[in-house]
Amino acid sequence: MAGAALVKLVSVEGPPREEDGYGLAAHIGKRLAYRAIQLAAVLLTATTLSFILVRLSASPAALLAGAGATPAQVRSAHLAYGLDGPILRQYLTFLVRALRLDFGQSPVHQAVALELVRQRLPATLALTAVVLVVTGLVAVSVGVWLGLRAGRPEHGWAFRLLLTGQSLPALALGLVLFHVFGLTPASAVGSPLRFTLAVLTLAWWLVPRSARFTAGTVAGAARQSWVLTARAMGATSRELLWGHVLPNSLLAALALVGVQVAFLLSAAVVVEWLFGWPGVGELLAGSLHTGDFPVVEATVFVLAVLVFAVYAAVDLTLAAADPRLRRTPSPAGV
Amino acid sequence: MTGPMLAQEMGLSRRLMPVPAFPMPGLLIGGSIGLMLVAVLGLIGAGLIQEHVTPTQRLLAPGTLGHPLGTDQLGRDVLARTLGGFRWSLAVVVPATAIAAFVGTLLGLAAAANRGWTRTILESVTESAAGFPFFVLAAPIIGLAGRGYWPLLMVLGIVSSAPFAIAVFESTWRGRYPMGLTRALHAVWRALPAVGAFMVADLVVAEVCLSFLGAGAPASAPSWGNMLADARQSVAAAPWMLYVPATALLLTVVSANWFGEGLGQLWGPGPG
Amino acid sequence: MDEVRVQFPDARGRWVPRLDGISFAVERGEALGIVGEPGSGKTLVALSVLGLIPPPGHVSGSIRLLGHELVGLVEPEWWRVRGRDVAMVFADARYSLNPVRTVGSQIEEAVDRHYEGFPHGMTRRWVRERALEALAEAGVARPRVRFRDYPHQLVGDLRQRVMIALAGANRPPLYVADEPTAGITDPVRAQVMLHMLRRLLNAAALVLMTRDPAIAAAVCKRVAVIHAGRVVETGPADLIVTAPRHPYTAELLDAAPRTSATAINPIRPGCAFAARCPNAIEQCRRLRPPLEPLDGRQVACWNPWGETA
Repeated sequence: MAGAALVKLVSVEGPPREEDGYGLAAHIGKRLAYRAIQLAAVLLTATTLSFILVRLSASPAALLAGAGATPAQVRSAHLAYGLDGPILRQYLTFLVRALRLDFGQSPVHQAVALELVRQRLPATLALTAVVLVVTGLVAVSVGVWLGLRAGRPEHGWAFRLLLTGQSLPALALGLVLFHVFGLTPASAVGSPLRFTLAVLTLAWWLVPRSARFTAGTVAGAARQSWVLTARAMGATSRELLWGHVLPNSLLAALALVGVQVAFLLSAAVVVEWLFGWPGVGELLAGSLHTGDFPVVEATVFVLAVLVFAVYAAVDLTLAAADPRLRRTPSPAGV
Repeated sequence: MTGPMLAQEMGLSRRLMPVPAFPMPGLLIGGSIGLMLVAVLGLIGAGLIQEHVTPTQRLLAPGTLGHPLGTDQLGRDVLARTLGGFRWSLAVVVPATAIAAFVGTLLGLAAAANRGWTRTILESVTESAAGFPFFVLAAPIIGLAGRGYWPLLMVLGIVSSAPFAIAVFESTWRGRYPMGLTRALHAVWRALPAVGAFMVADLVVAEVCLSFLGAGAPASAPSWGNMLADARQSVAAAPWMLYVPATALLLTVVSANWFGEGLGQLWGPGPG
Repeated sequence: MDEVRVQFPDARGRWVPRLDGISFAVERGEALGIVGEPGSGKTLVALSVLGLIPPPGHVSGSIRLLGHELVGLVEPEWWRVRGRDVAMVFADARYSLNPVRTVGSQIEEAVDRHYEGFPHGMTRRWVRERALEALAEAGVARPRVRFRDYPHQLVGDLRQRVMIALAGANRPPLYVADEPTAGITDPVRAQVMLHMLRRLLNAAALVLMTRDPAIAAAVCKRVAVIHAGRVVETGPADLIVTAPRHPYTAELLDAAPRTSATAINPIRPGCAFAARCPNAIEQCRRLRPPLEPLDGRQVACWNPWGETA
């Protein structure tokens, strides 16, 4: 009886609970600000770098106007970029134009550069989305299978297989598929076959990495103490997998998605060009060939924004999904 | 480790993944053999002259006398050119990796040795560089600077320093009390080779892709990227133009990846 | 438990017993303390009762619970036993609860699993009520609020109470508690924790593992002291704690000096404690002493402590 009184006396209330909402909002605000700063830094660097390179080239105005521009276009570029004035003023003009999203006209396509990019964006997004879904399904299945067998022999050869598969560059695979399916640069542009092959090529490149990473997170999650606790309370293997191992490991793997998108966009440049898929990547590759500077600049800009938007979105999702990331003040004694 | 840092590891700092419980010695051995083979082939390639343009002998199939692996659309011998490709790839990628390792190590050590704002800035710079699509940055720069050996080398080197910075930082950072210089250098010495091997694999592929797009090697250089670009035009008529350099590329990348993974397991942090 | 032996293969493939000849019995309303230093094997005792000995470990002997033999069960059979007939309270709950799920959902999961045959319509509400009840019984104030908390939001001993609530979710007849005061630094809170465990004895049996004999004596009527996987002394708790007869027990109670610390090698013949024992005689290194009654308890020693020569 004295014991019961003691219990009530020392009854632990726990820490004063701050509203979850406050902690979460502050955390999200900080992450978004961080991403915005990163984006700004990247854009600044890219713009400065391209300014330096342009300035160092033989005829900046011609370069800026784009190859194949008429003399009139070159002259107007000369004026628009203020290439007569002092260097610092030129730099500022350059920056301001980029900030105003004024990238000029493409002499090759006879259209506003930014517009061209905007038109092609949905195609790339569609390709990327499909690849992400396919990769997600395959990589998670393989990764879970692999991660749960961490100590066993099957792990060894499966791992080696993945590593070797990953070593076949998307470009080489794409070309082989190109050959095998009898495509020529001109045939069946934009067809479902080309789309499927492009997806396949990109997925081939992405799946082994993601699978290996997922295997790592799954193997790690399965070793955690709380899995043992659940098992000690009679959890079946299935309950353990779906209730405790997967939620935690997939959460960790979620952080991966941002990097995957970045890599995908990178690879998409080559793959879209190869399969003639009319997306932003193909535009970039083509513009490099034709020396279409305005379009190149616009594309890099848009892709940079896209990449950091994805990172920010992933940050938000992680914040919403992982309770530990909501920084409520840590309770005393913890 | 925060979410974004965790994300860097995929594909960039693979050695940080939990090591499989069964060590796989075959990887290191196989990788080493492959890399030595690559080096030998590169040396052979260095001694050959590949630029015999003989239009009368274009698109010859493999097995023709004097051209064991056929010729391309300009009559150049495919075997000779592929061997030259080994040399070209090594000549670009090895110095680029060295540059990246050097810059990355400096960045990583600087980040580990400092605290507060300096470290935060360095970390976020490295993180943005590592997380940014490589091509979207590299291709336009070379496009502006012009094709050629040196622009290619510099771009590849500098843009790829982020993974080294991350690896060096991770192995020398001890929280409150930074390690002494000798221990740090030892840790760096252990951390770099595996990352370096993976970087070589990635850079070989990157160089090939850049050259394929026309934003890398000069048109006449025996880069596999150039060969693949040529192959794309004539693949139906002359498939050997595709498969020979593709096989060479595959051999190189597999060897480097296996070597890197094997080394990472040997010297790595141990099971997660 | 009757002559339970748990063996593991060593690097050369030989079988090494990490638990050897463990026998004890405990009844509803009783608490038995298992006392020993880290590495002595007490956690293995707990794991073997729950069938959690990791492969390639091998369990032999007999473990009977409610008349059922537990040694030799396959994994799917264990799923019905764990959490329902016997439940474990883990040490230091910091990482023993899934951080991305609420505390309440984890308790509900345990209730849901073992309650079969309940009228379908009432299941969800009943499960929740039962989980809240378990929290209240474990001394958690404001259970409805705590229910929605995540593990990282709770203080040390609150987490430990949640672990007790989890274990008690299905009111098992046997509790196994491994170092329940491990995460608690405040002695008052530790006392409260021990009181919680005593309350469990109203309806169940308790086996308590600890390295501190005083803690065992505070909760348990009987105590078994384990060293190198063998029981070296067992009997009434207050007797053993006030007048230990085995030199190892004396050492645990700080009543005897340590001569040297050596690694435990269970394969060596003779008493495993001989290398460290201040009372060791020549016979101790040759022959393993059996458990024999002495002074109201059982001791396994050729030259027990406190005896004049």
